[in-house]
Amino acid sequence: MDVFSTNFATIDWIIVMVYICIPVVIGVIVRKYVRQLSDFIVAGRSLRLFVAIATLTGTELGLVTVMYNAQLGFQHGFSAFHVGVIETVCILAIGLTGFIVYKLRELRVMTIPEFYEMKFGRTVRIVGGFLLALGGIMNMGLFLQAGARFMMGVTGYSNPAGLKIFMSVMLIMVLVYTVLGGMVSVVLNDFLQFIVLSIGMLIGSYFAITKIGWGNLFKAPEAVDKASWFNPVAEGSEFGTVYVIFMVVLTFSAGALWQSGTLRALAAKSPRVAKQLFAWGSISYLARRVIPMLWGICAFVFVSQTPKLLSAFQGPDAIKSEFGMPIFIAKILPSGFIGLIAAGMFAAFMSTHDSYLLSWSSVITQDIVAPFKKGDLSDKSRILITRISIVCIGLFLLIWGLWFEAPVSLWNYMAVTGTIYLAGAFTVVTAGLYWKKASKTGAMIALFAGLLAFGGIGPWTRGDNVPFYASDKFISLMTFAIAILGMIIGSLLFPDKEKQAEVSQ
Amino acid sequence: MSWALFWKFILVFCLSAYSLLVVTVIFGGIKNIIDMLKELSSPRDQE
Repeated sequence: MDVFSTNFATIDWIIVMVYICIPVVIGVIVRKYVRQLSDFIVAGRSLRLFVAIATLTGTELGLVTVMYNAQLGFQHGFSAFHVGVIETVCILAIGLTGFIVYKLRELRVMTIPEFYEMKFGRTVRIVGGFLLALGGIMNMGLFLQAGARFMMGVTGYSNPAGLKIFMSVMLIMVLVYTVLGGMVSVVLNDFLQFIVLSIGMLIGSYFAITKIGWGNLFKAPEAVDKASWFNPVAEGSEFGTVYVIFMVVLTFSAGALWQSGTLRALAAKSPRVAKQLFAWGSISYLARRVIPMLWGICAFVFVSQTPKLLSAFQGPDAIKSEFGMPIFIAKILPSGFIGLIAAGMFAAFMSTHDSYLLSWSSVITQDIVAPFKKGDLSDKSRILITRISIVCIGLFLLIWGLWFEAPVSLWNYMAVTGTIYLAGAFTVVTAGLYWKKASKTGAMIALFAGLLAFGGIGPWTRGDNVPFYASDKFISLMTFAIAILGMIIGSLLFPDKEKQAEVSQ
Repeated sequence: MSWALFWKFILVFCLSAYSLLVVTVIFGGIKNIIDMLKELSSPRDQE
């Protein structure tokens, strides 16, 4: 069996081509609704519950999400499910308690660094905005690459130029409608894409389970260690206890404060809707992990039953494990369905890309450029700067995705680059909202501590025999610990003068 | 309880709950979008 053979036919190309034109049309139509900055960034704070759930799911369930979770399932089997369960419990806890999101929505901020200024002053906002944009854009760095690899795997287009072609076309489509319609366009497209990708995922799961067989699915393949295929903390598992703890810290902080997700809470009609959004959205968070992981698991079982395919994924010239799931999908789905799945995944790609582009570009405008400008920037100028930033980030993604290969798995790359921003942001926002002694110095130390996470994507994390203190998971977990300690020690040693004066009065 | 059984339960729960959520959100979301566009097209004060 040829590794890149596929059932993708002309009808599938037609389905995908027709589908990808729809968002651009929506972008053009909704331009008339964008009259002020809050319309462009938070859709005039008009999101109701159901559409907010759709747009949150559309954002947080991207093609890159499908790819990295499928890769985890392909490599680690059912033990990867623990990430989904942990994340779901964390999101549900945020939804039930309203932790962070309720208060942020009450404050009517549009970006998280805007909150930094309210509590700690303008310098913290600019530094926080810069680090947020840096971490966020780095985090997006491999989105295009992963998306293009999915399309190559599904369509069977294995020509080396395929990566460049797919990346460029996909980027242009997203840039056009995001630049035109801002958040209103993003919300409408996310809703449409939620429907298409959800139906695609459920149909894909049906075919994957049917192909492997429900009974066979829960038997570990011979090529893997049976205990670590199911148990994430089993001896020999590449996850282990440190990783599980890191996942609890990371998914809880990202759940509350990942700018693109939090932006949905900030765009909600009321603080109560923001809270409900997370409680109901927790089901989507489970699905975004478990369903692609299921596909990855089915793909590995399928590959392990086909000696020629298995050998293609082993040895020094092995195909990247990211290709496992798309190659599997391309072989088991009949023509027509595969076009629908590809359109669904393309929908997932666009719905995540648009929101992330909007999130980071609005941070650049609101929190880095605008605070430097003397006098107020008009809404028109801010929208223009946001649009220019969107295009610049897009170009960076194209260049970065073409030459950078992550030394760790795709999800671990996302986790580590996310920590650059999250370690500081989670500490600063939590302390700012819930600890009266939190000071500007403590906030600055915590924010800069996030940069330590860069160590987690260094070349020393590559390979099988990495000492535990140089592993990406240990470095990331320590980054959180240092940020929290920095906040506490910095605030106690260097309290804010204004707060000291208030206390002494 | 074995890990395999636990993951089987999680998988069944996930597929069923997500299917229900999708149906609910599709019907509820259409009404939400109509309300949102009405609100955005009505005259407002600059923030």
